[in-house]
Amino acid sequence: MNALLIQFAVSAVAVALMVALAAWGTRGRARPALDEATARRWLADEFPGRAIDGLWLASDGKGAIAKSGDDALVLSRMGVGYAARRVAWVKAEAATVKDGRVRIPLADVAAPRAVLAMAAWPPKEFSA
Amino acid sequence: MKTIDPVTLATPFFILTVILEIVLARFGKLKATYETSDTAVSLTMGLISSLAGLLTAGASFAAAMWIYQHRLFTIPMTAVWAWIAVFLLEDLTYYWFHRLSHERRFWWAAHVNHHSSQHYNLSTALRQTWTGGLAGTWALWLPLSLIGFPPAMVAIQKGVSLVYQYWIHTEAIRRLPKPFEAVLNTPSHHRVHHARNPRYLDSNYAGILIVWDRMFGTFQPELDEEACRYGLVHNLGTFNIVRVAFHEWIGIVQDIVRQPRHILGWLFGPPGWSPDGSRDTSASLKAQWAARQGAPPTVPAKDAV
Ligand SMILES: [Zn+2]
Ligand SMILES: [Zn+2]
Repeated sequence: MNALLIQFAVSAVAVALMVALAAWGTRGRARPALDEATARRWLADEFPGRAIDGLWLASDGKGAIAKSGDDALVLSRMGVGYAARRVAWVKAEAATVKDGRVRIPLADVAAPRAVLAMAAWPPKEFSA
Repeated sequence: MKTIDPVTLATPFFILTVILEIVLARFGKLKATYETSDTAVSLTMGLISSLAGLLTAGASFAAAMWIYQHRLFTIPMTAVWAWIAVFLLEDLTYYWFHRLSHERRFWWAAHVNHHSSQHYNLSTALRQTWTGGLAGTWALWLPLSLIGFPPAMVAIQKGVSLVYQYWIHTEAIRRLPKPFEAVLNTPSHHRVHHARNPRYLDSNYAGILIVWDRMFGTFQPELDEEACRYGLVHNLGTFNIVRVAFHEWIGIVQDIVRQPRHILGWLFGPPGWSPDGSRDTSASLKAQWAARQGAPPTVPAKDAV
């Protein structure tokens, strides 16, 4: 039992060291902000064949919301890529802005919500 | 029973090579992308997984010992032919374990963790499940003890397979010489296994020998014109490790509570199965992809390595 505990403790220290090293290894390598062309490419990959009626980019470049018929297609930055989820447009539209961020519930345990920097939400042209 | 554990023996090698991969990538000496939160999740998954494994290891080993007492033959652990046989049979068992883990949601719920990183580096190899013991797939190895392989021998070979599969989680090695790519599971083949591109889904289940995929029709070579994009069909939107570890299990429970009469489909249907077909399975994604290309989703045999 003792040997196991020591082994676990040493491994835990090694994990902390490797994580710190990963932080050092990626220091100063900021990801580029999501621009419209990249967002459209991601949307085309994640939701092939879906027409985009409107696209709003997060002001911090960390995601986007697209309207596609009755659905909202949401991209939010996760590491090197984006988590993409589809929710009903009415649900996305009902989200409110707080402290410059809109929080859209995605109803998925693996991606509970998208928090996107948006000065104003919902977009005037589509709001009911 | 005192036995050697290849995974414990290899742990210092795992740590050293992760360090080496990060440092060499930082100086542009090899191809690898790391991200701090992702690395933290992968390595913590691995660390806790080794503890979780201990909880069920006793029970599964006891089951193997009990079966072994009713064995058909007595296979000596000292014979070379016995090691060759256990190598082949264990690897075949691994292939079917791995295929089951991708094709049926109950077992996918335990295996999905290994695939949830959008990165592909040595730390991804250590991103291991916490719930594998509960999923009961260890029972697939029991027939080896029934045939007459000592449980310790099977356990050692399982460890050897896990250690082998560690080093193939890298983008630093592009292709091995053809004879190796033909027979062994390699970084190239396993990159395809971790890719979320529709044409790459549900392929290359191999442990050590890729020949099983070639035999059973699940082999897909890595194509130069289609770079692997890693992760899940629906990538995680959180680094919360509890959600990472349990999301598919929670999803199963939520689905069953909502529509209990479809319990068998929710549990044992393919991942992404739903009664009305409104979700995506690997098969539907591959079919949609093929329809967009106007071509069948498989590669002609002549293009295979
Ligand atoms: Zn897998
Ligand atoms: Zn893997």
